Amino acid sequence: MIKVEHLEKAYGNNVILKNINLQIEKGEVVVIIGPSGSGKSTLLRCLNYLEEPSSGAVYFAGEKIDACNLDTLRRDIGMVFQKFNLFPHMTVLENITLAPQKLKKVSPQVARDNALQLLQKVGLETKSAAYPEQLSGGQQQRVAIARALAMQPKVMLFDEPTSALDPEMVGEVLNVITTLAKEGMTMVIVTHEMNFARQVADRILFVADGGILESGSPEEVFDHPQQERTKAFLSKVL
Amino acid sequence: MDFDFSLIAHSLPLLLWGAVMTIKITFLSVILGIMIGVLVGIARISEVKVLRYTATLYVDFVRGTPLLVQIFMVYFALPILIGLKLDPFLAAILACGINSGAYVAEIIRAGIQAVDKGQMEAGRSLGLSWRQAMTYIILPQALKKVIPPLGNEVISLLKDSSLVSVIGFEELTRSGQLVIARTYGSVEIWLSVALIYLAMTFTIARVVAYVEKKGVVS
Repeated sequence: MIKVEHLEKAYGNNVILKNINLQIEKGEVVVIIGPSGSGKSTLLRCLNYLEEPSSGAVYFAGEKIDACNLDTLRRDIGMVFQKFNLFPHMTVLENITLAPQKLKKVSPQVARDNALQLLQKVGLETKSAAYPEQLSGGQQQRVAIARALAMQPKVMLFDEPTSALDPEMVGEVLNVITTLAKEGMTMVIVTHEMNFARQVADRILFVADGGILESGSPEEVFDHPQQERTKAFLSKVL
Repeated sequence: MDFDFSLIAHSLPLLLWGAVMTIKITFLSVILGIMIGVLVGIARISEVKVLRYTATLYVDFVRGTPLLVQIFMVYFALPILIGLKLDPFLAAILACGINSGAYVAEIIRAGIQAVDKGQMEAGRSLGLSWRQAMTYIILPQALKKVIPPLGNEVISLLKDSSLVSVIGFEELTRSGQLVIARTYGSVEIWLSVALIYLAMTFTIARVVAYVEKKGVVS
């Protein structure tokens, strides 16, 4: 589904990511963990070219991402941000229906029906007419997930989806993501929630110092880490 | 000296006619200025270098030269340069509109940049093009933010439009000069002119404050 080849990202002389190679299969849930500033989010953002790699290539469904096919490929790559980034001047319903209507030429009626279905899925069917500022953080993030799902993406990227939330709202967002995983959605998740990572992931990537230091099943990485760097990190967060 | 109220009463129709012309010029210049300003403001943050540099050059030139000189350039220099002879009314609107466009461009640019970066990213990540994200997501939010500074720009343009009196266009200031030339009533007439300007700018300021307040509620 996604293939990353020799990806590098640098800002001037500041190298963030070096020689990243990665393959993600359909239906796989990959969770990226690692210390702050290690390049986790940058790696995730390179997958849909919100950050343009300095060199290397990203393939999506066999197609190499470049400036020409970017907008089209992004329709199939949903993204959820740490800070939700809902459109504050639109209602919940408008947030969700904007992209399908503009990009897939879905009729307003169909877009609306789909949106209401998605809202039901994330437990917010009563909030369709609300504006984002009227919602709690957890509710906003669930709307953001529904907005991304409305484009019927083939893969979902989550960039620290619970880091900006009050602790009591983390659960409701993680539950939605877990449900998606069970339904077979391909997902790449950057998170600091280790229990959630262990529970939802098919594969854990430990990223530090701009590289993937360790990769394996949750049992392998959490219970039998090979690298000293991984052990040191896990001993601090677990 | 005696303050002659009857002079004011007699001159008022002429001065009010001038005020109507001032409003007309200001209104049309603001429309032109906003059209130029939105385009140039977007060009100022465009990723296309040529657009960005051209827009910056325009803004720097207009803001770095006096409006009075710009009015002279449009009215006296354009006919010689490209054979475009404008009547004072059109020259006034063109000069004021071009001038205002540069200031509006900076207001729009600041408004766009005040919108959180995550908004563009969220739009683009859904597959919207830069242009679509700008149209549906960024500009609606930016325009809300620019209402107060835009109101200030309208007020300064209304006052600055007095400068077009130098090319003989009969707006409020020019009307005042003409009345004084006949009556020598400098004190009465300039005071009246000033108060009429004040009435207009005050009204605009109230309207803008109202729109701003209403915009926040909705």
